[in-house]
Amino acid sequence: MNAQLFILALFDGVAYAALVFMVAVGLTLIFGVLRVLNVAHGSLYAIGAYVTVSIGSAIFAAGYSPVLAFPLMLVAAILVGVVLGGLMEKLLLSRIYDRPEVLQLLVTFAVFMMLEDVQRLVWGNQPYFQSAAVNLLGNIELFGVFYTSYQLIFLPLVALATLIGLRLFLRRTLTGKLITAVTEDREAAQFIGINAERVYLLTFIAGAALAGLGGALASPTTSVLPGIGTEMIVLSFAVVATAGLGQIEGAAVAALLIGLGRSFAVYLYPELQVLVPYLIMLLVLLVRPEGLFGSPAARKI
Amino acid sequence: MLQFDDVDVFIDGVPILRNLSFRVAPSETVALIGRNGAGKTTTLRSVMGFTDVRGAIRVGGEDVTKLAAPQRPTLGIGYAPEDRRLFSAFSVEENILLPGQVAKLGSAEISRRLDKVYTILPELKEMAGRPAGNVSGGQGKMVALGRALMIGTKLLMLDEPFQGLAPALAHRYAEALGKLRDVDPDVTLIITESNPQLLKSFARRTLTIERGEIAEDTRKEDAA
Repeated sequence: MNAQLFILALFDGVAYAALVFMVAVGLTLIFGVLRVLNVAHGSLYAIGAYVTVSIGSAIFAAGYSPVLAFPLMLVAAILVGVVLGGLMEKLLLSRIYDRPEVLQLLVTFAVFMMLEDVQRLVWGNQPYFQSAAVNLLGNIELFGVFYTSYQLIFLPLVALATLIGLRLFLRRTLTGKLITAVTEDREAAQFIGINAERVYLLTFIAGAALAGLGGALASPTTSVLPGIGTEMIVLSFAVVATAGLGQIEGAAVAALLIGLGRSFAVYLYPELQVLVPYLIMLLVLLVRPEGLFGSPAARKI
Repeated sequence: MLQFDDVDVFIDGVPILRNLSFRVAPSETVALIGRNGAGKTTTLRSVMGFTDVRGAIRVGGEDVTKLAAPQRPTLGIGYAPEDRRLFSAFSVEENILLPGQVAKLGSAEISRRLDKVYTILPELKEMAGRPAGNVSGGQGKMVALGRALMIGTKLLMLDEPFQGLAPALAHRYAEALGKLRDVDPDVTLIITESNPQLLKSFARRTLTIERGEIAEDTRKEDAA
């Protein structure tokens, strides 16, 4: 592997890790608080991407400025979070919190299957492409390699801001403290007056919005087509399991590890590309079954 | 202040409280005595909304069984469970403040109540910044009492507070309860205990619970 390929693999890995982190951190946040592994998270990611591409194509065709691509991503994320996330928690999950985990998993899996079909119904099987945001930021040259500023600078910055923002939110704001309290001990939270049901709803909306934002951010870098949600949810599971369930900073490290592992595999052993994230997960879990940052007893977010 | 009317509670099909009825007047200090499994903890948990209750439980005249669990503390009910249940992610002071913040009491009222907590339990002020996960079990009981005091202005329920305390700490805790009575003579205090001797000194009234029913209700007139 020559130096240029190495740099390229590094950049690919960082850019990809930033996207995976956005989705994985929402997944791990939801798991930390609700103790539900949300399989439908992948669909929320895909729908975030579809919504961004569809609305973007429509408004750019109508002559609006491509700068709107960025606020549009936020709008798509909030739409996915509030409408899909809110409905899913209110109508389905809130009814089954005290049921066996297997049932919860099956319900979110069923939602995933349904949302996959809904995507095909609404957007069909053809790929969509809308890269206004990437074009707008242009390319940069770094270590002799040309790369899009969007993927090399913007995406990692957004991921970093999300990580720091989320941590500050949980530590410093009252709502964040309520979420932390419910995560640690739901019943104790209730006997000091915290409405745990509302915290669950809020957390699920926030987590779903993060998945939607991940999809929105990914949309200008790739073709949006059926199946992207499946790929992302499986990879996010690998990240979350590697990090330790409920670990926010851990998800960032694991996303980097898996993102880089995957991108180096692309250049070195392309046939292993799909396998590498799971090999990393397997190796980590063999040594530390609770994940890199998880502790077997206490759970924290 | 607290009134149980024909309360039945089943847990996994087993009757834990049977037709339980009693009344506690405002500003009373009551020791709820009984063996392990008699239903003391279930009685307190039923007030907080963590059991399926048949019958009525009234706090200050209001039937709390109609309220969701998290709405009940706002009536002025503070609860310190036997196993403390502090939030280890927060500092000692954050644990004490949280019920006040949740109830949106306003910063002036919260700091007034925090001062009250520190007057009753001065040792908590010294460990205010320590992570609640790092305090000893006995200190944790004090923190749990402090947290209950923040919201429990009308009714304080302490579940086996002396359980597992070293004698010196148990003495300190009893002292703090005495101080609480001085500072806040109007609050209703319910303390469960399996060892009746411990509470004799400051509970005027002893309710003995056996197999989910009140077996004995004794008052003494001379106690402080």
